[in-house]
Amino acid sequence: MTTRTTLGGGSATAAAPRRAALRHPATRRDGLAATGFLLPSMIAFLIFVVVPTAGMFALSLFRWNLLSDGQFIGLQNYERLFSDERLWSIYARTAGMAIAILIINVALGLLFAVLLESRMPRWTRTIFRMSFLFPFVISSVAVALIWRFLLDRDLGLVNYVLGILGVSRLDWLGSSALAPISIVIVASWKMIGFSILVYVAGLQSIPTEYKEAAIMDGASAWQRFWRITFPLLSPTIFFLLIINTINSLQIFAEPVLLTGGGPGDASRTIVQFIYNIAFESFDLGYASTVSLTLLAILIVLTVVQFRISRRWTFYG
Amino acid sequence: MKLRRYPRATSALALTITLVVLVLAGIVMVAPFAWIFRGAISPTDAVLFKLPPDLIPEGATLENFGRTLQAVPFARFFLNSVTVASAVTVAQIVTCSTAAYAFARLKFRGSNILFALILGALMIPLQATIVPLFLVMSKLQLTNTLWALILPGVFSAFGIFLLRQHFLSLPESIEEAAKIDGAGHFRIYAQIAMPLAGPALATLAILTFTHTLNELLLPLVMINDTENQTLPVGLVLLAGRFEGGTLTMIAAGITMAVLPVLVVFLILQRRITQSVASSGIKL
Repeated sequence: MTTRTTLGGGSATAAAPRRAALRHPATRRDGLAATGFLLPSMIAFLIFVVVPTAGMFALSLFRWNLLSDGQFIGLQNYERLFSDERLWSIYARTAGMAIAILIINVALGLLFAVLLESRMPRWTRTIFRMSFLFPFVISSVAVALIWRFLLDRDLGLVNYVLGILGVSRLDWLGSSALAPISIVIVASWKMIGFSILVYVAGLQSIPTEYKEAAIMDGASAWQRFWRITFPLLSPTIFFLLIINTINSLQIFAEPVLLTGGGPGDASRTIVQFIYNIAFESFDLGYASTVSLTLLAILIVLTVVQFRISRRWTFYG
Repeated sequence: MKLRRYPRATSALALTITLVVLVLAGIVMVAPFAWIFRGAISPTDAVLFKLPPDLIPEGATLENFGRTLQAVPFARFFLNSVTVASAVTVAQIVTCSTAAYAFARLKFRGSNILFALILGALMIPLQATIVPLFLVMSKLQLTNTLWALILPGVFSAFGIFLLRQHFLSLPESIEEAAKIDGAGHFRIYAQIAMPLAGPALATLAILTFTHTLNELLLPLVMINDTENQTLPVGLVLLAGRFEGGTLTMIAAGITMAVLPVLVVFLILQRRITQSVASSGIKL
C-alpha cells in the first residue's frame, strides 16, 4: 500500500497539497476502519453479484444443459439472439406492459397521494392509506391467485360487476388482447401502494409555509401544484421512476400464475422467458445471453434516466 | 375576504370528489381480500362462486383450512419463509449499515469507485443473474437448503444507498464531539449513528422483510424438496389444483398465507408509514 494520500477520498484530488498532507494520518486510519466496515457487504457483493455477473458472460459462450459437459460455442448464442424473433416480440410485450405499469404507478400514485394528503378526518385518511398498502405487503403469488378467481370469464366478480354496468363478458385471461392488460392491472394493483407511500412521504416533507405563502399571493390550486409541489417533489418522482422501471421489467409471478404467459406469448414477460429457457429447456448458455440483454437494457435505462433527471429534478 | 372564501368554496366540492374517488379506490383495494376470505369459508366451489356474493356464505365452514393443511405442509412453508426473511433482514441491517457508514463518514482510497460499483449493482436485479446464481449455489452445495435463499439477500445496494443517505444527513458536529472524547469509528457507529438511524433502519427492515417473504423466483429455482419450500411456492403447489375443482382449498391456502401478514401490518401500520415518511426515501 503506497501512501499517496492526495487520491484519498477521491474528492480530495482537487484539494490543496497542504490540506491533503494535513489529512494524511486520519486518512490512513480511516482506511483501516473502512476495510472493517466494508468487509461483510463486500464479500457478499463479490460472491453474489460480481461472480454471477461475470459468470453470465462466461456462460453465454457455452452450450450447456446442466447434465453433460458444456460445449464452447464462441459467439453463437449472440448470433442466435439477433435472429430470435420470439425473444424480441416478448421484449416488445414486456416493454409495453412495463411502460403501462410505470405510468400508472408514477401518475396515478401521485394523484392518490395528493388526494390522501388533502384535508380530511384523520381516521378516514388512515383507512384509505392502509387499504392501498394491503396488496403491497402480501406476495405476488397470492395477488395473482386472487385475481385469477376475480378475472374468470364466466364466474368472476369483475365480469359480474361490469355486467351490471352493461358491459358484456370479457375474456380477461384468455384473449391475447386482454391478457397483457390483466397483467398490468394486477401488477399495478400490487405495486401502487408503495409508490403512494413514498409520494406521501415526499409531500409531507414540503414545508407548509410555501403553500401558505402561495395562497396569500392568490395562486390557484393548479398553480400551487405545478409551481411548488411538483418541483419540490421531483426527487421523489425520479426515485419512483427508477425503482418502478426496474421492478416492472421484472414481472414474473403474475404472468406465470394468471395466464402462463399466454395465449401464445401474448403476456409472457422477459424474466419468465429466461426462466423457461434455463429451467424448462435447460439451455443455460442462451438463458445467460438473454439475461445479459436484460441487464444491458436496465443499465442503459437507468443511466439515461439519471442523465435526463438533471434537467428536471430540483434538490432544494 | 375574497381571497379567503375562494379556496374554501372549492375545498367543499373538492373534498366530496376526493372522498368519492378514494372510497371507490379503497373498495377496489380491499374487496378482493374480502372475497377470497369469504371463499375460504365456503363449503363448496358453487357457493364460492355465488353471484352476487353474500357477505357470509351459506353453510360457512372452517373445514377447508384443515383439508388444505393436510394436502400441503403449510406450517412448514410458513416457518421456512419467516426464517429466511428474518435472517436476510438481520444480515442486511448489519452489512448495509456498516458499509453505508463507511461511505458516508470515512475517507478512504477508492471510495468513489467502490460506491459507483455499488450504484451499478442497484441496476442488477436478482432476476437477471438467476442462472449463474443457481450455479454458484450448486458449486457451494447449498441448493435445496435455506442458505440458498438467505445468502443472495445479504448484500443490498438499495440498503446501502438508503442508509448512506441517512448517515449523510446526520450533523457532523455530534461526531466531532465524540471524537474529541476519544471515541473510535466503531463506537461512533454503534452508539451514535445507529441509534439515530431508527426510522431508516426500520424502513429498510420492512421493505427487505416483505420483499424476501414474497420472493417466488429464487425458491422456485433453488429448492427441490417440498420441506424446504417457502410460502409463495407452497401457494403455487396448491394452485396446481386449479383444474382439480377444489377451489375452496386454494382460497383457504391464500387466506392462511395472507391473513397473518395483514394482521401484523395492521398492528404496525402507523410505525411503518411514519418511518418511511421520516427516512426521506429518495435518490
